[in-house]
Amino acid sequence: MRTFRLIGQFMRASFQEEAASRTNFFVNLLHSILNLGTGVLGVVVLFGQIDEVQGWNLASTLALLGVYLIVSALRGLFIGPGLDALAGMDGKIWSGTFDFTILRPLNTQFLVSVHKWRLFAILDLGLGLGVLGAAVARLGVSLSAGQVVAFLLALFAGVLTLYAILLAFAALVFWSPGVLFTWVFDAFFQMARYPVGMYPGWLRLVLTWVIPVGIITTVPAQALSGSLTPGMLFGGLGLAALLVVGASLLFRRGLRRYASASS
Amino acid sequence: MPEPQIQIHNLTKTYRVPVRPEGLRASLGSLFRPAYNDVEAVVDVSFDVAAGARVGLIGPNGAGKTTTLKVLSGLLHPTSGQVRVAGFLPWERQPEYLRRISMVMGNKSQMLWDIPPLDSFRVLGEVYGVPPARFRRTLDELVALLDMEELLTKPVRNLSLGERMKCELTASLLYRPQVLFLDEPTLGLDVSMQLRLRRFLKEYNQHSGVTVLLTSHYMADVLALCPRVVLIHRGRVLYDGELNELARQLAPFKQLRLSLQVEKCNGAMPIPDGVEVIEQDRASLTLRVPRAEAPALTARLLQTLPVADLTIEDPPIEAVIDQIYSGAGA
Repeated sequence: MRTFRLIGQFMRASFQEEAASRTNFFVNLLHSILNLGTGVLGVVVLFGQIDEVQGWNLASTLALLGVYLIVSALRGLFIGPGLDALAGMDGKIWSGTFDFTILRPLNTQFLVSVHKWRLFAILDLGLGLGVLGAAVARLGVSLSAGQVVAFLLALFAGVLTLYAILLAFAALVFWSPGVLFTWVFDAFFQMARYPVGMYPGWLRLVLTWVIPVGIITTVPAQALSGSLTPGMLFGGLGLAALLVVGASLLFRRGLRRYASASS
Repeated sequence: MPEPQIQIHNLTKTYRVPVRPEGLRASLGSLFRPAYNDVEAVVDVSFDVAAGARVGLIGPNGAGKTTTLKVLSGLLHPTSGQVRVAGFLPWERQPEYLRRISMVMGNKSQMLWDIPPLDSFRVLGEVYGVPPARFRRTLDELVALLDMEELLTKPVRNLSLGERMKCELTASLLYRPQVLFLDEPTLGLDVSMQLRLRRFLKEYNQHSGVTVLLTSHYMADVLALCPRVVLIHRGRVLYDGELNELARQLAPFKQLRLSLQVEKCNGAMPIPDGVEVIEQDRASLTLRVPRAEAPALTARLLQTLPVADLTIEDPPIEAVIDQIYSGAGA
C-alpha cells in the first residue's frame, strides 16, 4: 500500500515539474507524432512493395509497431527518466547528488527506477494503443481470451526485458559516470520496430540472445497474430526474469563502487 | 554513563585515484594501462560524540572532514577501523539507520528545482513514512523557526541561496532524525543569513536534542555553534576539545597590543629579537611573542617603548588555525 502511495507522490511531483513548461508539452506532442509517422510510413512503404516478409504481413507488422510504441511509451513514462538521470555530465552520479538517493530508507534500485515519471509519455501510449487496435482490426481475427492473456504476459515479459537491459546499461555508469550508455541501447532498440525474423541470421541471433530487443516486441506481436508457441512465451518470461536478476546484481555491484563525488 | 551516539575508532579511509598524466600521448596510454595512486584521506581517526552534542569538525581543504562525514552517514565504506552511529554500522545503510540520520550538504541540493518546496517536502514525508499529522506538525514548527512561510509555494529555482538552504534544512529535519550531519551548511551565504541559520541550528538542537556534527570553513559557524571541536589536518586528528582551549594548546604564542604615546614616538622603535610585528601604525603596535617568553619580552617593551596601554591575549582563533593549516602546528 505504502509503495503505491509513494509511487503516487513521485508521479505527482514529476508531473508538476513537467507542467512547469508549456513549450515542453508542444515539443513532446510533435515528437510523439513524428515518431508515429515515421514508424507507420516505414511499414506502409515496405508492404507497398511486397505482401509478406518471412511470414509477417502488413497487419501483423503494424501490430508489432503498436507493441514497439507501447513499450517505448512505458519506458518513457517511468523507467527511462529515472535511469537516464543517473548518467552524463549533469547526471546524479557525476554531480554527487546521488548521495541523497542512497541515503533514503528505501531500496535504491526501486527508488532510481520509479522516482521520475514523464507525463507526456501517456500521449505515446495512446498512439501506440491506437496503432495496435488498428492492426488487430486489420488482422481480421477475433482474439480468444487465451490469446489476450498470452499477449499481456508477453508484453509484461517485454517490459521486464527492457527494464533489465536499461538497468544493466545504467549500472555501467558506476564504472564510467560521464558516459550515456543508454544511447548505445537506443541504437539497438530502434531495430525492434521490425520483426526479428526480417533481419539477417547473425543479427537475428544478436537481437534475440545478446541484446534481446527482438523479444521485447516480436513475441507479444506473435501472440496477437496467433503464431506464438507456448515455448516462446514461457522462454521469454524466463529470460526476462533471468535478465532482471542479472541486471539487479550488476546494479548492486556498481553501487558498491560509488564513492560519491568529491565535496 | 550512556553510550556515545557516534563512536569512531581508528577510522582510516584510502581512496584509489587514477593518475592522469599530462599530454595527449600519455592520456591515450592511460586508456590502455591506467595507473592508480592510493590517497589516504583519513588516517586513524578516533573520537566519540554524545547524544545531543554539537561538535565542529574543522580543518583545511582536503583535510578529511567530508570523507569522515561520508563514512559516518553511510555513503562510504571505511578502509579500516570501527564506526557506530546510533548503534548501527553506517555503511550497511539499514532503513532504520537512514531514518535516524540526516545529511545537509552546502554544495548539493536535495530539492526538486521546478516545483515549490512544499511539494518536495510531501515526497520526502512519504519516503520517510512520516504520518500525515506528524508531518504537518513538524513542518509547521520548522517553517516557524526558519521564518519561511512565504517560500513554501515558490518554485525552488526562483529562491535565493539562503532561502534554498532553509528549505534544505527543513527537508532534512522533516522526519526528526537523531543525528544531523552538516557539511558546510553556510557555504556562500551572506552574513545575516549565516547568523540566522546558526541561531536556528542552536535552538533546534537545544529543544529537539538532535546530535549535530558540523564541518565549516567559517570559524564564526564553529564559534557560535560548537562548544567542542575536532581539528583534522592531513587526515589525522590534531586536536579534540573545547574551542577556547585550542589556541592555548596549539598556538605557542601570545598576542600583544600596545597603544603608544604618539607625542613621544620619534622615528625608529626598537623591537626585541623573537618578537614578530603583525600590525603597526603611529599609535599602536600588534605583536606576536612566544608564549613562554611573553612576560620577559613585555617587560622589555615597557622599558623601551612609550607605552600608553597594553593588552596580552591569546591570538584570534583564525590566526591559530591559519598557523596550523600552513604547517606550523603539524
